[in-house]
Order: sequence, then C-alpha cells, then structure tokens
Amino acid sequence: MKFVSMLPVVAVGGILLLAAKDFPAWGDPQSPASSSPVSSHFIGSTGVDTEVPNMVTAVLADYRGFDTMFETVVVFIAGIAVLAILGGAGKRRASKRVHEVEAEPDLIVTNTARLIVPVIQIFAFYVLAHGHVSPGGGFQGGVVMGASFILIGLSWDLETALARFSIQRCMAVAAGGIVIYGGIGLLSMFLGGEFLDYAELESILPVSREMARYHAMLGVEIGVGFTVTAIMFALYANLSTAGRLKGGL
Amino acid sequence: MENAIAWIFIFPLFGAVIVSLLGMSQKKICYPISVFSMIGSFVAGCVTIKQAIESPNHEVSYLLGGWTLDQYPRGVGIEFRGDLLGALICLVVLGVGLVVSFYSKIPVQEETPGKEPLFYSLFLLQITGLAGICLTGDAFNLYVLIEVAALTGYGLIAMGSNRAAAATFNYLILGTIGASLYLLGVGYLYIKTGTLNMIGINEVIVSNGLMDSASMQVAFILIGLGILIKMAFFPFHAWLPNSYCNAPTTTSSLLAPLVTKVMIYVMIRMVLTVFGVEFSFESTLWADVMPWLVVVAIVSAAVMALAQREVKRMLAYLIVAEVGYMVGGVWIYNYYGLIGSIFHIISDACMTLCLFLGTGIILRKCKTTHFDGLRGLFSKMPITMAGFFIGGFSIIGLPPTCGFFSKWYLITGGMVSHRWEYLIVLMFSTMVMVVLFFRLIERIHLAVSESGQNLGHGHGDLGLTEEQTKFEEGPLSMVIPLVAAAAVVLLIGIYNQDVVNQIEVFLEPFNLPKGTVD
Repeated sequence: MKFVSMLPVVAVGGILLLAAKDFPAWGDPQSPASSSPVSSHFIGSTGVDTEVPNMVTAVLADYRGFDTMFETVVVFIAGIAVLAILGGAGKRRASKRVHEVEAEPDLIVTNTARLIVPVIQIFAFYVLAHGHVSPGGGFQGGVVMGASFILIGLSWDLETALARFSIQRCMAVAAGGIVIYGGIGLLSMFLGGEFLDYAELESILPVSREMARYHAMLGVEIGVGFTVTAIMFALYANLSTAGRLKGGL
Repeated sequence: MENAIAWIFIFPLFGAVIVSLLGMSQKKICYPISVFSMIGSFVAGCVTIKQAIESPNHEVSYLLGGWTLDQYPRGVGIEFRGDLLGALICLVVLGVGLVVSFYSKIPVQEETPGKEPLFYSLFLLQITGLAGICLTGDAFNLYVLIEVAALTGYGLIAMGSNRAAAATFNYLILGTIGASLYLLGVGYLYIKTGTLNMIGINEVIVSNGLMDSASMQVAFILIGLGILIKMAFFPFHAWLPNSYCNAPTTTSSLLAPLVTKVMIYVMIRMVLTVFGVEFSFESTLWADVMPWLVVVAIVSAAVMALAQREVKRMLAYLIVAEVGYMVGGVWIYNYYGLIGSIFHIISDACMTLCLFLGTGIILRKCKTTHFDGLRGLFSKMPITMAGFFIGGFSIIGLPPTCGFFSKWYLITGGMVSHRWEYLIVLMFSTMVMVVLFFRLIERIHLAVSESGQNLGHGHGDLGLTEEQTKFEEGPLSMVIPLVAAAAVVLLIGIYNQDVVNQIEVFLEPFNLPKGTVD
C-alpha cells in the first residue's frame, strides 16, 4: 500500500521537475515576475501611492487588501468552526480523559511568566504598529499577543487565562477585528470610492490621500491583530481541552 | 447602485459578523438577520446581472481599493469582474442561499440546538465565499475565496450526526490537497506571466507565446487536477457521499446544489478566460483524455447510484454523475456542449436544491430516508413529494423542467461534435435515473419491501395503519421554500431561451467550433 501511495508522489514530483526546466533563472531581473508592469509598479510607486516604506505591507494591506480581509475571515472561520465542532463538549460527556492536575502552579514558572507577559504584549503592539516600516503587521503582532495569553494558560491553568479572556470575549474581539477591517472598507465606499479605497478617507482625516492610505493600513492591521489574537487563544483553549475548557495541558 | 457588486459580499459578510456578535446573547435574532442579509445580497445580485446585461461589453468591472485601470496597470489591485457567466452563476448561488436560509429555521433549531449563531455565521460566510468565487477576476483571490468556502463547509458538515466528523476529516484532507494543487498551479502561472489578474494572465500567454511552454502545461495540469478533486469528479468523489449524507439538513441543502457546481464554473473560467480556448483545447492533451474519463465517471457514478437503498446517498451519487455531464460538456470542445454545460450548472443547482429540500422534510418526518421507510408518503405529504419529484423529473430530463433543456444542449453538443461515446453514456445515465426515480415511486406506492416481502393485503393496501397515511405536511417554513424551488425549476424550463440567450452572448467572443450534423 505504501508503494502504491508512493506512485502519485513520484508522478507529481516528476511533473514539477519537468516544468522547472523552462523557469526563468534564479533571481533573473528580466523574468516575467520581476519585470511585469505589476511588479514594476509595486517597486517604483509604492512610496508615491501610499507613503508606506515597507512595500510588503503596502501590497498586503492596500493593493491586495481584499485578499487580506478574507485571510482574516479564514482565521475567524477557523475559530468558529472549532467552537461549532467542539463547543458544549463539557456537557455532552463526562470527563473520560482526566487531565486536570491538582498541583499548585509552580512558583518559578508563574513568576517568570508574570515578568515576561507584559513585555511580550508590549512587543506585540510594537510589531503590529510598526508593520508599515519594518517587517511585522497584524498577523505577526496578533500571534505574539495571542501567545502571551497562551503562556498565562500554560503557567497557571486555563481558568486563570479564561478569567482574563473568556471564550465569549474572544469571539466578540475576533468579530470586532473583522468589523474594523470591513468597516474601513465600507466607510471608504460610503465616502465615494470603491470598497477598501482608503484614499477616500482623506475627507474625514486631516491628511493627504496618500497619508490616508498609510493610516488606514494601520487601521486594518489593528483589525487583523484583534482577530488573530482572539482566535489564537480560542483555538488553544478549545483544542487543548477537547472543548471542555477545564484543566488543560 | 454602482457598488451593487460589492454589496453582494458585504451583506453576508457583515451579517455573519453581526450574527456571531449578537447571536451569543439572543439566539432568536440569528434567523431574521440571516434571511435579511440573503435578501439584500440577492437584490444586489439581481442589480449586478442587470448592469452586466445592459453594459456595452456585457460585464461589470469593479476595482477593489480604487486601483483603477486608467491610472494603474491591470493586476495591481484586485478586480471583481461580473461578466454574464459570473453574474449568472452568482445569482444562482444567492438564490439557492436565499431559499435555504428561509428553510433553515426549524432544522437548525432541531439539529444544532444552542449553536445557531455559529451555524448561521458559517452559513453566511459560505455564501460570501461561493458568491465571491463567481465574481472574482483574480487567480489568487479565487484561491482565498475557495478556502473561505471550503473551511466553512467543513465546519457546517461536522455539525451533523456523530459520523459527520469522520466524513469531514476525509473531506478536509482531499479538499486541502485540491486547494494546494490549485495554489501550486497559480504559483507556476505567476512565475511565467508576472500577474495574477485573469485577463492579464491571458494577455501575457498570448503575447509571449507561452502555448508550448512546459511549465504552463504543468500549471494547467495542477490547476485542473485541483479543481477536479474539489468538484468531486469520479474517481476523486470519495469525500462527497459521506459528507453530504451525515451533514445537517440545512448544510446538505446548501452545499449539494452549490459547491460542486461552482467548481465547474471555476473550471470553465480557467479554460475560457485564463488559459484561453486555443491553449486549453489545442495545446494540451486534456481535450483528448477528458471525454473518456467522463465516460468512465458517468457510468460508474450511475451504477453506484443504482446500488443505493437510501434516498440521500442515492442523491449524492447522482451529483457525482451530474458533475460528469457538465465536465463532459466542456471537454467535448463544442459551442453547444458548453452552452449545455453552463445551463446545466444553473438547472442542476435548482433541481438538486429541490431534491435535498424535499429529502430534509422527509427525513424530519420519517427519521429515515431508506426506501422501505417511505411507503405511503404520497398521501401523507403530497406537496413535499410533488416538489421532490419535480426535482427528480428534472434530473431525468422530462420537459418542461429545466433539466430537459440543459440536457438537450449537452446532447446536441455531443451529436454535432461526433462524440458518440459521450452521447451513449448520457443516454445510459438518463435510463438509470429513470429507473432510480420510478423505483422510488414504486416503493412508496406498492406494498413490496426492498427484500421482496409483501406487506399489504391485496389491491391498494400498503399494509399501513391509518395513522401512517393521514395527511400531515411538513412545517410551512420548510414546504414553502421547496415549492418555490420547484417553481423555479419549471420557470427556468419555460423561459430557457432567455437564459440561453445570455449564455450565447457570453460565449460569442470565444469562437468555439459549432460542429456539423451529417
């Protein structure tokens, strides 16, 4: 059976190698992906269009902001789907697998966590807010932020973390993130542009069209950060306890 | 109203968010909000198709983010292109979504108590994804929307019976493989063309002469395979029957008519708009190989449907057979075949909707969809059974249902392009469907059980108590959507020429061979 399943793997690998022979050379500036009008526009005009020095963020949050909105929605869907499948497991079956630990949280671990959690959270805000000028942004910042709550759950127990960030609040924050992202898109539509045309926000912000794009990008990154933070933690809380939200790892 | 195309996804997207925000505390508002978002979205869809029909080049182009084509090169931003094909299929998606959202009130309460907000958010996001797939003009955005539609689908199916989780896992693995292959193919396209916009890709293929490039061929194979897995084309159909049979009623009524059909739309879009007719049919081997795979697919799926003793499972295999029809209609490379294929997407969505809505009502009343449990249903639920069998007759292809006309075009296509093997399997599978549905009518009317045991005592006696044959229709909120769906099946059949006219306008620029009759 293993041999049979190797066959498609080899076949697909062979096909992929076959195609590699007429790829453009590695790093070739004349290759279509580097020289097409689209790439040239991104490289040449990102600063002109948006005032954002980080080209990646501009492509991700503005030129292709619609994709990113739905990537955020995908994260949100993952959270909802896990809740839909595992939710209410505590009521459904009594704990078959006992993995509640009666021991007190370890002194060294909790004190270390107490020290580093605030630092992690500040760093998360930095990564999120600095996404325009350096690598970073909503997804990365959100993951770091979510990890800080997971650390609380790991160091004390899940109840401690849930007391600070309950599942209901998680889902509200996650939905709020999408409202922020979609809301900015909707607002720019009401102000006379297309959906997600941030430049139209100039009429309510005291800045130029380009700077309006700059600030709106920060706005949508914050929305992404909200959703990713909440869903990271909600996924951990549900998956680590099979939906019972008690005990945990 | 120039933003109508954007409202198509704004309504369900925000509806889903509002449902998940407010629904947690007030479960009662989930249903009205969902229905309201679907109505809004459907109206926006109608406006969009009207704009597409009236515009001089028959499409509505919408540049998200304001990256307009007169100031920026094509492909800098993401484009929504509602041409006649996209807008038409999108309208079908929204229509089915609207009908199912009306229908969902009782089944959702009964089958997933306490989880209404989660269910309705997934439901609305599913519509967002499917409608977006129909309208997007960007190959990568299409992938993102396929992911949205797939993930919500996994969640919606897994909320069903205990077996649903295992079926979903199967679906998840296969669906992810399909989506990954598609993404890999898009990567190859980008390496060779430097753009992700569908029209942009096609322009580069033509201007750079990429017809014979090996990596374009591989991109085509990868994208094609990915889509075939996603549309449950035999032999990649293994995920479908179990998922649809174990899913909650509302889920299967929504997914069965739409998911596979939308993926066939994606295949047509890739063949016509992205790769172009010349590349797809003349530079690759697909046009030689696919019609024969279609023959195998239709015959196998029809035989497997024949072996089923449960209505829901039988319908699941029928969907696999119907997928074969539509794929065949595309790959026989003929104008009429393609008209048939596109028209069959529309009519198959409507008739599958009819059948699954009907099955949902039957399942709720009888607690089973096994053939033996359905005796006497015609006197008990005459309206439901009428709706169900209008869908069934349309699957067989009896006039004046829409299934007759779409099949007519498929057969014409097979005939004028001399694809006799396709014609023969179409006839064969039509016969199988006649057997399937008339056997079902017989089981319901006659007193002979599946094992051949005679349960009644002579003429007209089904061996049922009076209680079992008393008139007892399903709830109105479920029967009215079914009646509406059945009416649509008949209306599309009667006004088929209007639909076909629009499809012809769409296909005009592609110069497909029209074939000859001799």
